[in-house]
Amino acid sequence: MRIMRSVWRVVIGILREISDQNAYDRHLRAHCASHSPEEWRRFIDERLRSKFERAKCC
Amino acid sequence: MKLAGHILWGVVSVAAAFCLGTIAVNRGEHINSMWIVMAAVCTYTVGYRFYAKFIAAKVMALDNQRATPAERLRDGHDFEPTNKWILFGHHFAAIAGPGPLVGPTLAAQFGYLPSALWIIIGAVLGGCVQDFVILFCSMRRDGKPLGRMAREEIGKVGGFTALLTVFLIMIILLAVVGLVVVNALKGSPWGTFTIVAIMPIALFMGIYLRFLRPGKVLECSAIGFVLVVGSIFAGQAVSNSPTLAPIFTFSATTLAIMVICYGFLASTLPVWMLLAPRDYLATFVKLGVVMLLGLGVIAVHPTLQLPALTRFVDGTGPIFAGKIFPFCFITIACGAISGFHSLISSGTTPKMIAREWNARPIGYGSMVLESFVAVMALVAACSLQPGVYFSVNSPAGIVGTTPETATATITGWGYPVTPADMSDLSNTVGEQSLFYRTGGAPSLALGMAHIFASTLGGKAILGFWYHFAIMFEALFILTIIDAGTRVGRFMLQDMLGHISKPLGQTKSLPAVALVSAVVVLSWGYFLYQGVRDPLGGINSLWPLFGIANQLLAAIALCVATTIFVKMHHAKFMWITCAPLAWLVVVCFTAGWQKIFSDQPRLGFLADAARLQSLLDSGKVAAANVSATHTQIFNNYLDAVMCGLFMVLVGTILIDSMRVWYGVLRGTRTVQVSETPFVLSRLQPEEL
Repeated sequence: MRIMRSVWRVVIGILREISDQNAYDRHLRAHCASHSPEEWRRFIDERLRSKFERAKCC
Repeated sequence: MKLAGHILWGVVSVAAAFCLGTIAVNRGEHINSMWIVMAAVCTYTVGYRFYAKFIAAKVMALDNQRATPAERLRDGHDFEPTNKWILFGHHFAAIAGPGPLVGPTLAAQFGYLPSALWIIIGAVLGGCVQDFVILFCSMRRDGKPLGRMAREEIGKVGGFTALLTVFLIMIILLAVVGLVVVNALKGSPWGTFTIVAIMPIALFMGIYLRFLRPGKVLECSAIGFVLVVGSIFAGQAVSNSPTLAPIFTFSATTLAIMVICYGFLASTLPVWMLLAPRDYLATFVKLGVVMLLGLGVIAVHPTLQLPALTRFVDGTGPIFAGKIFPFCFITIACGAISGFHSLISSGTTPKMIAREWNARPIGYGSMVLESFVAVMALVAACSLQPGVYFSVNSPAGIVGTTPETATATITGWGYPVTPADMSDLSNTVGEQSLFYRTGGAPSLALGMAHIFASTLGGKAILGFWYHFAIMFEALFILTIIDAGTRVGRFMLQDMLGHISKPLGQTKSLPAVALVSAVVVLSWGYFLYQGVRDPLGGINSLWPLFGIANQLLAAIALCVATTIFVKMHHAKFMWITCAPLAWLVVVCFTAGWQKIFSDQPRLGFLADAARLQSLLDSGKVAAANVSATHTQIFNNYLDAVMCGLFMVLVGTILIDSMRVWYGVLRGTRTVQVSETPFVLSRLQPEEL
């Protein structure tokens, strides 16, 4: 059961990392901010700008 | 306990050798795909346990006491220590593209044996090593990208060459993946409707994420996925409707123009609106389908219908011309060794590694998984009847323009198939025709659909699975097109900024639109050339892409060897030099043959000369004169591109060898730009 829970945590962790939700949590912590639509837009604009300046793999 | 470990690893090693031996010596009878799967799994395991560990411990001297850039430069944005399995998934999602799926499908024209051996051995000794070593080098240099490492370790020439090579490769890559999508969707209202429907779905997702439920990416992607699956069912209704089906039935040329327009729009619109939501959706679908395919192959373990070696090992293959050596090794890049991975390994990942030893599962391990995806694609393609495989993948210019002539030609090769077989299959999957669908995507989708349908739903829903697989391939290929165009635009603006400041401004709308148009037209020209090519386009474009991608890997291995030489002199340079030497021989042989071979199907110059002589002798109909002139120009253009790639990589290779010679002779001061040791204070609970 413990193994299943760890696997589940990792799977959710991967999905949250890919979806930038972990990065958003880190952003909120780093700026001592709380979630709001404006804060999300500020974060995601900067995040996507740097993300889509890098090459995507074939 | 230690003895038990030795016995276990002995058994795994013997199993790897036995399975590889079985697939290598078996001739004349069909083998089960589990032989290839077992050979792959056992070889990967041995490679990871022994070779990767040797490199990590003896060559890199990885040290968990040493603080990584993620810890030292932690900023809550780019630099952040991350759990190794989460980063593994993130890195794998970044390196996995259509390459490991399409390449093995095309190379199956040689039979399953050469592709299987190259994917397994090439990955363990080449691809995994490249990804792992570049990740290590970048991690020890504060996460610097490949181009910057090339400039610092080799010299300014190397740095500029790397940048220019990446840009040119991007152009060819976007054209070739665009061609794969176009060939998959031409004359297919079901497939086209599904892909067109993804655009409004992505726009809805963009608005949902920005205004309705900001930050809820997983929730939004789940809704997007349900809508996309719904669009597959709607696509079936469209294809059955006499009114709607013609509206969504397009020729290859029209589809190519639509893809070009899409690339321009997606790269100029705000990222949040279309590009980002599609990217999230594509990544999740990609991971899900890859997992599903892996489980499907293991559950169904189909028998391989293609032989170990086909008659086309002599270079007369209908899908692309050229012998096994060197063309099998450039056709399969991403499943064995891919230069593009070095850009990812020196991108985000090195900035997120919490402990140095995590580089082994993330760098080497992720590539092992990518290689396994290529094995799955090979199994899916080789489980098709050879006659069906060649009917789908051969261009009309080779097999004839009617189903009767095509099937007669293919049957004459020894792979029996009838027009009725193909017609039945097309009807089952809901397509008008499956002939001349070059590019690999439709045949891979057929193989995947057979595997999925064998476990879930049976033949009744083969059509759904076929279009699900087409949607899956097209979805992330289009993501590469839009993101790649954007990246190409940034690179070009970066270069043009040195000549004209206004052109370099990334926030100026006219500059963005102009440079985007230049990038789109550059790859769009190659795409258009591909769809107009009577040999299907893949024959000329895929080898060009393979050569370019492998040459980028050669650049990465030059950087890695330079760093190893600076660290240990000649002692360990064989680790990266061996795959580098192989790639140089393969790519330069392939490049030389593509330019100078006297066979028109293989050599660009020979084909140009053949067409010119047809024109000169007046054998070309007046209506086709202009098209023939264009074909001649395209052949020269392809030859120049191919030659340019070789010159660029030759330059960086000579530059690197000059550095190695200087270091080994002691005439050059060794300057390693590694960041100094700092003791790690990272606590396990911080991950």
